[in-house]
Amino acid sequence: MRKTFQKWLLLFVAGAFILTLCLSFYLQTREANSNSIDLIDLKLDDAVKQIKLNTRNVEAIRIMTESEALAKARALAEIILNNPDVLKEKGWPGRMEKILDVDEVHIINKDGIIVASSSATGYDMRSNAQSKEFLAGLGNPDFEYVQEAQPRGMDQEIFQYTGVSRLDETGIVQIGYYPTRLANAMSLADIENLADGFRIGNHGSILITKSGIIVSSIDEKLLGLRMDSFGIQSGTLNKKEPFYATIEGVKYLCKPKIFSPYVLIGILPVDEMYVSRNEMIRSIVFSNTILFGIVFLLVSFLVDRVVISGIFHVNRSLEKITEGNLDERVNVRSNPEFVSLSDGINSTVSALKDAIAEAAARIDKELEFAREIQLSSLPTLFPPFPDRTEFDIFAAIFTAKEVGGDFYDFFMIDEDHLTIVIADVSGKGIPAALFMMTSKTMIQNLAESGRSPAEIFTDANRHLCENNEAEMFVTAFLGILEISTGKFTYVNAGHNKPLFRQSLKAYDWIQTKPGFILAGLDTTQYKQTEIILHPGDQLFFYTDGITEAMNQSGALFGNDHLKDFLNSPEVINYNPADLIHVVKEEIDIFANDAPQADDITMLALQYKGHGIS
Amino acid sequence: MEIHEMKEGNKLSITLSGRLDTITAPDLENKLNSSLENINELIFDFSALSYLSSAGLRVLLSAQKRMNRQGSLVIHGVNETIMEIFEATGFTDILKIE
Repeated sequence: MRKTFQKWLLLFVAGAFILTLCLSFYLQTREANSNSIDLIDLKLDDAVKQIKLNTRNVEAIRIMTESEALAKARALAEIILNNPDVLKEKGWPGRMEKILDVDEVHIINKDGIIVASSSATGYDMRSNAQSKEFLAGLGNPDFEYVQEAQPRGMDQEIFQYTGVSRLDETGIVQIGYYPTRLANAMSLADIENLADGFRIGNHGSILITKSGIIVSSIDEKLLGLRMDSFGIQSGTLNKKEPFYATIEGVKYLCKPKIFSPYVLIGILPVDEMYVSRNEMIRSIVFSNTILFGIVFLLVSFLVDRVVISGIFHVNRSLEKITEGNLDERVNVRSNPEFVSLSDGINSTVSALKDAIAEAAARIDKELEFAREIQLSSLPTLFPPFPDRTEFDIFAAIFTAKEVGGDFYDFFMIDEDHLTIVIADVSGKGIPAALFMMTSKTMIQNLAESGRSPAEIFTDANRHLCENNEAEMFVTAFLGILEISTGKFTYVNAGHNKPLFRQSLKAYDWIQTKPGFILAGLDTTQYKQTEIILHPGDQLFFYTDGITEAMNQSGALFGNDHLKDFLNSPEVINYNPADLIHVVKEEIDIFANDAPQADDITMLALQYKGHGIS
Repeated sequence: MEIHEMKEGNKLSITLSGRLDTITAPDLENKLNSSLENINELIFDFSALSYLSSAGLRVLLSAQKRMNRQGSLVIHGVNETIMEIFEATGFTDILKIE
């Protein structure tokens, strides 16, 4: 039972351990996911803020650059107004370029032709779309125009033109310059360079896509690739929800953010997401192993102390009780439940004991009644035939505690014939008692019908063999005394040979060979023997209760003891009643309080004939 | 009492030692009930048997009745005490004692 309990406890603790682990894993995973998404969101917000900031910077620099350029152009127009002749000076435009810190100076006349320039004199502004834009201002005295900066030449460097109306005549003053700061700011603000500035965690980054194509990424290999080549459709991006995708063989957690016309996608390797979770789980496993181990040992120890040893004691007592020791008390007092259990068992056992004792007492009572009925069927009135002086008869039965099957009987068949019977039914208890009654009645009936002793036993045996399922048998001795002649005809069915004392001689056993027991085999034929009794002759019949009476050390009373006692000088001449009494006394002395195991039955018959009164 | 059994084909030899009385007779009875199937030669060895009560006689009688139907029963090694009991009860008439 201790093993079983520990097995279940271990199962339970292991279950709790796994459950806790699963729960921690689930919570930590959720936490890791949510943290990762927060991290990506944060970075995406930063990126968007950076974009906005950059845009504002570019705008500020643009305004500054524009106003500076306009101031320079206006100053140039003023110089020409005050001194128109400068236009004719060779080298003037070059000088002005240096003074104004610009790269080109062009003076355009009313026809849109460059009249003064360090590099393009005579150029018709109408011949190019870019330069043509400025001609819209011809004739407008308030014309001021800063053209969009645009890449130019082989290296596509940003270049800008600004122009204002001439103040001296119709025409335009135009300056051209590299807007370095603006270009720098614009380059900085270029969204396509933005991704370089952002990392998410250690290996995460931001992808910037436009129309589903990657336009900015730390990993240059990705530039220009289409998102759907990674299985990411524009619909997924527009949902703004996190998703997983495998890019270049690495699995990422991805979160899109729309910043029109771009979609920024924060990506974080899944491995990295779970680094801290895995560490957490490792430490939880470690600490839980120790914790649950302690819980297991503690519970196992406590339950063993509080419950199992108690149950062990209770079980041991219950085993003793089951084996029949109803005096066993259960006494486990380690806690109130066991006290109540112990008391409950004790009172149940005690009630059971009382019930058994009561039943036993009832059965004893009934057996006593049975015994009384059995004994009352035996003749116990002595002298039984007070007017018959030809013989003296006495008999006694001393019953053992348990009901036995001994009996004796004697009755007159007619005026001249006395029948005596002594018998012992094998076995004990009610079956033996019932079989004894049957045997006794049957023998008496057969005897009273006038049969000879041999006929009586032969017939009785046959009847007793019928329906003898219990295979009981009877040893019996029957004799019929013809009173007038002293002829004693007897038959012995396996019974103890009687002791015979011919007058003035010693007791000795009748030497006739006994026949087979009654109720053994239905084919048994009994033979009878005749002897003649003379006045003074005495017969002593008994059952094996005498010869097998046992003393404290287990020794048997024995045949020789009986014969010697009967032949002792003070006993040898006792009449039947006295003889039976002294034999009983002698047996009691021998037994010395050892319990009597079997019925003791004796019958003594003295033949007096007509000679002795 | 100890019961020692030896079986050779249809022959069963049983050696008894100690007392065959009310207490031990049921053991022998159970043993015989379970072993006598298909036995046509039953041999008892009583040389180590010290006492025989009426309960023991009952088992012997029952065994004799059964062996009357299916074969033979022989008892060996009957000592004086037990022989007296057999004689006194008439069992010598029905048992084959060698």
